[in-house]
Amino acid sequence: MSEVLIKNLKKVYDGGVTAVHDVNLHIADKEFIVLVGPSGCGKSTTLRMVAGLEEISGGELYIDGKLCNDVEPKDRDIAMVFQSYALYPHMTVYDNMAFALKLKKVPKDEIDKKVREVAEILDITQYLERKPKALSGGQRQRVAIGRAMVRDPKVFLMDEPLSNLDAKLRNQMRAEIIKLRQRINTTFMYVTHDQTEAMTLGDRIVIMKDGFVNQIGTPEEVFDKPVNLFVAGFIGMPVMNFFDGCKLLKEGDTYYAQIRNAKFKLDDFQQKALKQNGQQPCDIVAGIRPQHISVGSGELEATIEVNEMLGSEVNLHARSDKDEVVMVIPTVDLKTDVSMGAEVKFTTQPKLIQLFDKATGNNLVWYDKQSADACAPVCKAYNE
Amino acid sequence: MAKNKNASSAAVLPKGATLGGSRWKRLRQSCPWLVMLFPAVLVVFLFNYLPIYGVLIAFQDFMPGDQIIGPYTHWVGFDNFIRFFNDVQFWPLMKNTFLLCIIGFVIGFPLPIIIALALNALKGKRTAKVLQTIFTAPHFISLVVLVGMLTLFFGRYGLVNNIIAGIGGERVSYFLESSAFRPMYILSSNWQDFGWSAIIYIAALSNVDPGLHEAAILDGASRFQRVLHVDLPAIMPMVSVMLIMSIGGLMGVGYEKALLMQTDGNLGVSELIATYVYKQGLTGVPDQAYATAIGLFNSIINVVLLIIANTTSKKFSENSLF
Repeated sequence: MSEVLIKNLKKVYDGGVTAVHDVNLHIADKEFIVLVGPSGCGKSTTLRMVAGLEEISGGELYIDGKLCNDVEPKDRDIAMVFQSYALYPHMTVYDNMAFALKLKKVPKDEIDKKVREVAEILDITQYLERKPKALSGGQRQRVAIGRAMVRDPKVFLMDEPLSNLDAKLRNQMRAEIIKLRQRINTTFMYVTHDQTEAMTLGDRIVIMKDGFVNQIGTPEEVFDKPVNLFVAGFIGMPVMNFFDGCKLLKEGDTYYAQIRNAKFKLDDFQQKALKQNGQQPCDIVAGIRPQHISVGSGELEATIEVNEMLGSEVNLHARSDKDEVVMVIPTVDLKTDVSMGAEVKFTTQPKLIQLFDKATGNNLVWYDKQSADACAPVCKAYNE
Repeated sequence: MAKNKNASSAAVLPKGATLGGSRWKRLRQSCPWLVMLFPAVLVVFLFNYLPIYGVLIAFQDFMPGDQIIGPYTHWVGFDNFIRFFNDVQFWPLMKNTFLLCIIGFVIGFPLPIIIALALNALKGKRTAKVLQTIFTAPHFISLVVLVGMLTLFFGRYGLVNNIIAGIGGERVSYFLESSAFRPMYILSSNWQDFGWSAIIYIAALSNVDPGLHEAAILDGASRFQRVLHVDLPAIMPMVSVMLIMSIGGLMGVGYEKALLMQTDGNLGVSELIATYVYKQGLTGVPDQAYATAIGLFNSIINVVLLIIANTTSKKFSENSLF
């Protein structure tokens, strides 16, 4: 068992700057959780508080059921992989990996066995006698991971471990981490600002902004059911299209979304959620993912400004009134002229429209009471 | 500047390859930088290289007013050097200079490193800055004032003797005691310079990746172990360079302080090569050729030490001066 429980975790720096506001998170045993968000959102600070590298200003941190607020980092039974690798430059790869065990006074033969075993897993045996400067970025990162692995930690912390690698190597290492995770099967806390890493690696994703947790969910949940405008805009590539000046209408017991002059009758699950919330007609921001748009027919119109042919699909950048609309259309479905300057009609399925309250930015369908409580400060921050 | 094996090997170009076109083009591109360098080169040439010409008098029977090179120059070969080797003062001078320098080096070289590591490890950065200022301040005291302070503290009627007399002890004339010269000289020199010398190490320590410390904390390293395994290795290239430079200047102790502290009582240990050169060359009936020969001999020892230190460092570490 190696679960992590974070209760109302808070970080206030000298001078009163609050970097992390009341974070609540339960990370189950062997779960891979990813903290994602833009720079300065507090994800690294949260991780560093778990590591013990930052003092906890408020709240409680439990690792494996033990309150760890004042426990020394070395006694927390955690290991961390840093963005800068943080390998000791004067030591060989072997010594880097063995350092923590040497300090623990583990017998030499045991250290040797462990280091070679981990080196074998990470395919770095041939580099054991080299110094870090003689390694490539990817190899250094493997060593950094190996250094963490030899300790058999309860929790693996990773602070943007792939950020220093080029795109190709990053993809490769991402796959390596997925394989590694299956192999060592322990609890992971992973920080990144890259949503692709978050979506591909995490069992669950914690999306943070300005020190607040905005949403916690599986990759599918945060993609399909974003609780507010920030999450909707942050997750997904290309970014979700937002249509301002839309309305939520109610005719009898039936809800409609009005985007421009088009009126969409909402799907059953949307009707149900809105009814449950007692939602009244209001101004909304409608969100539609670029992949959820179909062109050729429909109630909405746009002028194509840029046409990006990517082979299997085409990215269309169009203008619809004031709004810029991005559409991702599979090439096989393309039966209309989408050359630059062409006028196209487009539409989407009502069930794929995200409805955000214009006043609060919250999703009218997916923003439930529980997340409302957790995210109350978020909405305040959003509105500010 | 220090040379790093790997850095230099990385910068090696394939045979025949040039950096950006013809030599003339490169020279033209470098023109502004060469113009900026010119004053420095001129100063070094005028004040460091041109005077080397004067070294020739070490091989002459030179009297003030003689031409260094002219029809009446009297060349004597190595006579002045042989005269020095046969001088009754030769071995005492060598011993005094060597002992003073080596003891000073053994105490004085590690001290700034220890101070820099300690200041860097201090949690309170404000305290560290205040301490650093306090440690650096004595460097700006002139030698005359420093020796004056030593007199005030250790003179027969100075502070230390007043305390000794106050508790019923005998007053001691430290400046007349041979045994007190070296401790007073070395400790006062170190007191004056350790803070200043530590600056270069403090600067090197400020470049240490904080991530290394954090990694070491998570690895379970104590504060002392972090100093040992993170800070010290990080400043080792700088330590190597400073070590080579210190060894290269080991016998190059100046005459001023020794002369200021010199008395008849401590002359047996305070007479150094530098003070002897001063006395031979500038006091009494000056024998400048002889003084130059002694000075040149001292410089040659320094050059040999520098080459040995540099070669050794090159062999055992990745750092060297040349």
